[in-house]
Amino acid sequence: MSQSTTNLKQSERGDRFSGLIFCSPWIVGFVFLFAWPFAASFYWSLCRFDLINPPEFVGLENYRRLTSELQSQKGFGLALTNTLYYSLISVSLSVITGVLLATLLSAKVKGQAIYRTLVFLPSVIPIVAASVLWIWLLDPESGMINYLLSWLGIPSQNWLNQSRSALSPAGFTEFSQWLQGGTLNLFGSKDALILMTMWGVGNFVVIYLAAISDIPGQLYEAAEIDGANVIKKFYHVTLPMLSPVIFFNLIMGLIRSVQTFASVYVLSEGTGEPGGSLMLISMQLFLSAFADFEMGYTSAMAWVLFVLLLAATTLLFRTSKHWVHYRTSS
Amino acid sequence: MKKNKILIGILFSFLVVAAFLKNWKHEQDPKNSSGRSEVIFWHFWGGEDRDVVDDVARRFNASQTKYFVRPVAMPGNNLQAKLFLAVAGGDPPDIVNQDDPILADWGQRGVIQPLVDIAPAAEVTEIERWILDSARRLSTYQDKMYGLCNGLDIRALYYNKTVLEQHRLQPPRTISDLDEIANTLAPFQSTEKKQSYGYIPDSRRLWAWGYAFGGDFYDASSQRVVVDSPPIRGALQWMASYARRYGSDNLAAFRQGDQSLPGKTFPLLPLDDQEMSGRYSVIMDGQWRVRNLAAFTRNRQARGVATPEFGVCPLPIPETGSPRQNAGWVNGNFFVFPKGAKNSEGAWEFAKFWIGFTDPSQAAKTCSQGGWIPVSQTVTQDPQFQTYLDENPLFRTFIELSESPNQFPIPSVPGAAFFRRTIERAAFQAFDDPKANIDKILKDAEQQIQTHLNRNDNLRDGGRVDP
Repeated sequence: MSQSTTNLKQSERGDRFSGLIFCSPWIVGFVFLFAWPFAASFYWSLCRFDLINPPEFVGLENYRRLTSELQSQKGFGLALTNTLYYSLISVSLSVITGVLLATLLSAKVKGQAIYRTLVFLPSVIPIVAASVLWIWLLDPESGMINYLLSWLGIPSQNWLNQSRSALSPAGFTEFSQWLQGGTLNLFGSKDALILMTMWGVGNFVVIYLAAISDIPGQLYEAAEIDGANVIKKFYHVTLPMLSPVIFFNLIMGLIRSVQTFASVYVLSEGTGEPGGSLMLISMQLFLSAFADFEMGYTSAMAWVLFVLLLAATTLLFRTSKHWVHYRTSS
Repeated sequence: MKKNKILIGILFSFLVVAAFLKNWKHEQDPKNSSGRSEVIFWHFWGGEDRDVVDDVARRFNASQTKYFVRPVAMPGNNLQAKLFLAVAGGDPPDIVNQDDPILADWGQRGVIQPLVDIAPAAEVTEIERWILDSARRLSTYQDKMYGLCNGLDIRALYYNKTVLEQHRLQPPRTISDLDEIANTLAPFQSTEKKQSYGYIPDSRRLWAWGYAFGGDFYDASSQRVVVDSPPIRGALQWMASYARRYGSDNLAAFRQGDQSLPGKTFPLLPLDDQEMSGRYSVIMDGQWRVRNLAAFTRNRQARGVATPEFGVCPLPIPETGSPRQNAGWVNGNFFVFPKGAKNSEGAWEFAKFWIGFTDPSQAAKTCSQGGWIPVSQTVTQDPQFQTYLDENPLFRTFIELSESPNQFPIPSVPGAAFFRRTIERAAFQAFDDPKANIDKILKDAEQQIQTHLNRNDNLRDGGRVDP
């Protein structure tokens, strides 16, 4: 072995060592703050554990309890139903509103920068401050939202003091009775939360705007030559070209909606009430862990949530090949 | 270049080691302030109350040559999580103030120590006799004191005497009296939205009305949840009858409006100088509102504006069944002593000083400053506190109620937080849906709570849980 080869190997080893040293903050953080708690939480999900006493192995007891609560729609069952309602509606509405707003804001009109700023502004307001503001806006007696609804002839709603939901069988019955001259008590606290989430749609809009500005102008020109009107251009050019970004926002929105906590905590004063309607999974996790001290049950719940999210994301990825159009260089 | 790197490395290592040693030395030696041993006291008080707490600590420190208390304000709702992590990490505070129903949970899990483990048994027995029944109930789990109540929170009915007199109504002594007040000031027949009500029950107050109607939520002797019982059913039926009479949506909207009042004003108070009545003429609330009423009256009198007269009375009772006089739901603040604390002896001395066991006049001063209810009659009888009562006559009713044997807290059982949430949700359901079957709601709640409590016990005993 020549002297130069030995030097090279020593230098490579040195580089590798330096590289590891530079990466070490991340490696240490990953192992101790992510990998270990991840593995430990799975073991704790099979235990009775209250943070203080050593974990006591109980097998699948916590998972059996989750199954039972799922059937009875109490505890975890109620939280999962609430979370599904909130996630499905808020994410769908965020995508639809986000794309429409971004399309409007991409139009070259006077004051475009001001409109864009106004749409993005709510996203920079701290979530706690925004939640307190929404408590005022949703006040049934003096809130601005009910005032705006009254312009449309819709009676005052008890947003944060009711457990009912607009998009439920009871909601449809209520709505049909109202059309026939009855009263209308349609919206409840979950709908209020969705409304509040929609207010922060500016985050998504910024991403859509960037994607729209990246769509080649010749595609629109070609569509115009083919006789496409505005709607057809939006449907056949803008939407397909935005589909990778919509897909990204869908996945991120889904994860973010399941993790929603601060706003729910403020709106329900840390209880998940009224009537358990704001008991989203994040709130149920928090209360089980730090009010009921059931860290084992909480870990089991977190793992089930993880598996459900993984399944939903996988499903979205599987379906994406049918509706997501990536631009290829050819 | 290489030498420089080595030098920087050595210097950095030296700094890290020095910082560690300094911190370690500090941790190992809890003595400061002229060699006295330090007592770390966690509490959640802020605003005006924090000044009172700091003053108690200052007076205690001035009276001591052995211990020195350092109050640490930890505002927010996550004190439990912080304490659990501190105990698990082996560095808990010496004494913690709490007001959530956590005594049994923390006691069962060994997070806190029973008083007999940190103080002479004779002294604990004497204190047990010295404090009021309600304070003892708040401090006890399975007949053992795990905490020391340092202040009581009592609920009573505040009423606008001027408005009642205008309508020739008397302060309510029975549930019928209260219904009459409500009906006179806001007729039941009319379901239209109102600007103010005589009285409407709050669904979160089933605890108070349940006890007043003669109910118990938990039977300690059989260890059974007894929520689905005639008195509690009667209380909830009566409370929910208001939602049917006035319309549950109207009541819900009106209640939410209370939350939007500027500065969370006490809704008994008129908002406008031209008005003599607030959003309610009768409302249930705690003794801390006496301070609000006094400030309101002072403010109006200083500006020469006519002021309504206010009164306080115990919860009225139904004419039938076996109701309890002067009954209600009590909660309050209590000290707990975490396991693994370094200075539990000092913490115990501070706790005794606070409640006035060592010197009642000190506690009388504290309670007068904060508008707090003493935990012992000895403190109440102190001349300084009697002066406070003379200046704040509305406070007397709360003192009388605190001495009643019929003031009960949320049952002191492991799982009390779940117990509380489930009861309050059940009451909300009864209010929210006027057609709801109250029997079924209470039965469901009872079953859920019992299952939760059984799970705690069974798993502790290595038994199998019925889901």
